[in-house]
Amino acid sequence: MASGRDVRDMLGLPMGGDAPKAAQKSRPKPATGVRRPQGVAREVAALYGERPPPVAIYEEKKTYRAKRQSTGPAKKWVQQPFTNQARSDGLVLRHWRRKPTTAPPITSGEDTVMEDSESSEPYIESNGDFMKYNIEVEVPQFTDEEYDAHLRSNDWGREETDYLFQKIKDYAFRWAVIWDRYDFQAERPQPPQDDANGDSTALATLPFAPAKARTVEDLKARYYDIAAKIMKLRIPEVQMDAEQFAQYDLLTKFNPDLERNRKTLAAALMNRNMDEVKEEEFLLTELQRINMAANRLDAERDELRARLEAPAPQKPVEPGLTAFPSSQQLATLFNQLFQQDKSKKRAPGNGPAGRLSLSANEMVATPGSAQQQQMAAANRRQSVAQPPPQTPIRQLAPQQEIRFNVSTHDRLTSGVSFGSDKLLKMRQAKSNVQTQKIAAALAQLSIPEIIPIPTSKVGDVFEALIGKVGKLLDVRKVREKEEGECRVLEAMKTRRASESQAGAGDASNVNDSSANYTPAKSEVADSQDTPDVDGDGEDDGDDGDNDGGEGDGDADVDAEGEEDDDEDAEGEDADTSAAQSERRGSTSTRAVSAGHKRSASVLSQASSKSNKRLRK
Amino acid sequence: MASTNAPAAEYAGDEVSAIVLDPGFSTIRAGFAGEDVPKSVCPSFFGYTDAESDSKSQFLFGENAIHTPQANLQIKNYWGSDGIVEDWDAATKVWEYAITSRLTSTKPSNPLQNGLNEGSNGNGDTMDVDIENVEQAEKPLEDSPLLMTEPGWNSSKAREKCIEIAMEEWGAPAFYLQKTGVLAAFASGKASGIIIDIGASHTSVTPVLDGMVLRKGVQKSPLAGNFVSNQIRMLFKQSQPEIPLTPHYTVKSKVQVDAGAPSQATYKTFDLPPTDSFRRLEEERVLTEFKESVVEVWPGPQRFNMGPSEEIAKNQPGRPFEMPDGWNQVFTADRFRVAEGLFDASAALVDSDNPRPKDEHTISRLVQAAVQQVDADHRPMLLGNVVVTGGSSLLYKLNERLTQEINTIYPSTRNKLIAPGSVVERKYAAWIGGSILASLGSFHQLWISKKEYEEHGASIVEKRCR
Repeated sequence: MASGRDVRDMLGLPMGGDAPKAAQKSRPKPATGVRRPQGVAREVAALYGERPPPVAIYEEKKTYRAKRQSTGPAKKWVQQPFTNQARSDGLVLRHWRRKPTTAPPITSGEDTVMEDSESSEPYIESNGDFMKYNIEVEVPQFTDEEYDAHLRSNDWGREETDYLFQKIKDYAFRWAVIWDRYDFQAERPQPPQDDANGDSTALATLPFAPAKARTVEDLKARYYDIAAKIMKLRIPEVQMDAEQFAQYDLLTKFNPDLERNRKTLAAALMNRNMDEVKEEEFLLTELQRINMAANRLDAERDELRARLEAPAPQKPVEPGLTAFPSSQQLATLFNQLFQQDKSKKRAPGNGPAGRLSLSANEMVATPGSAQQQQMAAANRRQSVAQPPPQTPIRQLAPQQEIRFNVSTHDRLTSGVSFGSDKLLKMRQAKSNVQTQKIAAALAQLSIPEIIPIPTSKVGDVFEALIGKVGKLLDVRKVREKEEGECRVLEAMKTRRASESQAGAGDASNVNDSSANYTPAKSEVADSQDTPDVDGDGEDDGDDGDNDGGEGDGDADVDAEGEEDDDEDAEGEDADTSAAQSERRGSTSTRAVSAGHKRSASVLSQASSKSNKRLRK
Repeated sequence: MASTNAPAAEYAGDEVSAIVLDPGFSTIRAGFAGEDVPKSVCPSFFGYTDAESDSKSQFLFGENAIHTPQANLQIKNYWGSDGIVEDWDAATKVWEYAITSRLTSTKPSNPLQNGLNEGSNGNGDTMDVDIENVEQAEKPLEDSPLLMTEPGWNSSKAREKCIEIAMEEWGAPAFYLQKTGVLAAFASGKASGIIIDIGASHTSVTPVLDGMVLRKGVQKSPLAGNFVSNQIRMLFKQSQPEIPLTPHYTVKSKVQVDAGAPSQATYKTFDLPPTDSFRRLEEERVLTEFKESVVEVWPGPQRFNMGPSEEIAKNQPGRPFEMPDGWNQVFTADRFRVAEGLFDASAALVDSDNPRPKDEHTISRLVQAAVQQVDADHRPMLLGNVVVTGGSSLLYKLNERLTQEINTIYPSTRNKLIAPGSVVERKYAAWIGGSILASLGSFHQLWISKKEYEEHGASIVEKRCR
């Protein structure tokens, strides 16, 4: 092969000349500049011009099917003998299976079998794939005693009942098939002969009298009757859960006559002749036609109405009602006003008489108002939009409510809540101290921290208990306050008695006040009340202070004594009001001390009761 | 790969190389379960030669044997007139022939020993060798379970006989008997429906619910393919001039003649003429051809002998038919008349041998009677699944007429006729259903095994094959 070099050599051209180099260079340049997309015809590529197309074009490459992965020689298949686990007789059939490359997986059960007979006996696969299709229906079972006690029937003998149940089992409740194959022959061919011999057995054989032609309804009625009775025997009616009860209800409610009537009707419907069917068809089409006509008429009327109520075009707007000539416009005005009214926040002092205001009630109550008409029209037009009529809430007797586990709630919060959380929440009062007190009281009643089964009933009982505990705590607090005050007044009395002659009113006043004040404080500290109660105590102190001041101003022992009484009464009053405000109609404080004693007993009573309930 | 794996869950097949045997009056269908067409279709007619002429082989089976003209060859059929097997010995032999001729006899011998693979080094696994193969061979069905079909009205005696034959004479490891109606429904993918099976000897209507025949509803009548054949014979006989019915085997050569003109064929001569039964069989073949190519069912809406139907039929283009001997004619209204008897007993041709068929035997009345026996709740559902099957249901326009008739009886329900379009599916529906059923994995537990048979005796078939 002569290369270009040789040729040049032969022709005597200079070696490595510039010209061929330039030519060589110039050729690949356009190729690199305009990169032709692959797989596009040259002519098509020419159409692109200089620039590449805005959208990348990929021609799908010709793809051949992936080469088969050859993983060695062809797989071997064998006719694998197998047994079906659904069969009890161990029938061995063969199906084609891939020949296992290694020894077949040895299951634990067949381990020993495999080992000693591997060479002589082929491996038999145990196939349970289709076990799931081997389904048997469940039919209630009964014993002889149960049959005699509950299930006897004048119409059905024991043997026939058993036969029926066998058929039901065989044909899996396909009643049509059961009825089709139902061919009960009383298993006593002798009775007729017996009758011929002597009539004494006639009565005995009566239940086994000739096999009757049973209808499907007869069979069903008998089965449902027995099923219901057995169900009731197994589970008492009261203990059934909702599902079971529904089933029981269904079983007991089967009425063969109703069913028979229904079937005759169905058959009659099917056996109508051509004319009747045609008549029905005709009537149906007629009905459809009428409906369509009515719709069209409605639409036309609506259109007419809309046209009548349309706003008059380009009418100068005048003030007053004349600006709203049609009822529709009036309705829009009403709506606007209503919206304004709603959107504006009402000033606190502003009474309803202050300005024009309309409530929704007023609007709806306006007789023949446009609003109503409009709504009615709208409803007529699109009946779908109308909310469905509410189904009345069925009232259940409390007993039934318990059985069906129905409970009513004022308001249900979304999400899941735990009964134990509810109980825990009840233990917590507003203040820590109160919580501790409640806890102490509950501990005294030996109610555990965590109640094992916080059902709703337990929750209710616990709530009642907590309420009572709260009341008792309140009562105790009041008593302590009273006692403290009594103490203070006692002390004051003794001091007054001792210092009655020592005059200096101001000093004593200050002392008094301090003396008066401190116990109140200490009492407060003792009782560890909630803040507002604290304030009450201070008020009390102030009261006492003022009273003392007044009493001092009078400077008369007797009068003071009276004053003391007065003050006592006043303090009591204040306490009462405070307590009342706190407890809302709990036991009156007039009988605080007595109340306290009583409260202990109440507490014990309540505790015993609640304990009992809780134990329940 | 994906396409073959995906439907495995629904398919639930697990083939155990079962054999499905579907004996009918005209043919016996046999084949392996899981296939879509029976491999072996044999005539149910068998040849019987007198013992003195050929003492060795008395029976002749198969298409080739029975259609060869021979002296003193009697043609018989093992079916009784009531649609139940009559001649059990012959039935066993014919069935066995149907199975062994195409399915099991040509069992390959062990490739290691048959010498075909001499060239290869032959180090294949010796584990492959079936040890049982050696002692096997005298029983034809040793390693294939057998699913047999039976008509819906089969007697329990006949059923027990079936299992006896399968178990004892053929040595089947497992056996099952299923009604043709159910299987035909399965072949159309239905578990419930009314199956109208128009066969050769009988037309049957079977209501099936959830794969179970409602026995009280099973109806049968002799108005089927053979009835139509007889009608044609009568038509030929009663027409003026009489139409000669010449079977193929008698004709040596024929020449073309004008329509209606007598044939000028040369006929074969036999030293000992074949028997009448043979001639009849051969005539049936001609009639079958006639049914296939000429006969049409009047599609309605009115009956054929009512109103203007006949006039309309006369004006329709006729169909020509040529006999094997060259005689030919164009048939117009007559081709409707011969099939009308299936639906209208009063329109059937009658003569002294063939009395007027009973009214309740017409197909529409059968359907009515069958539906009447079904619970009212199921009737509309069943009428929505009317499956038409059987060889004679291939008569032209039969489906149209049937739809018409059923809609007249039950105008208020939604009636739907399901008739597979393909000829094979129509003719072999019961076999195909059996093929589907026997190849299902869930069917394994239904087989009656040999062990169960030995334990309980033949009566187990009544208990298990419900």
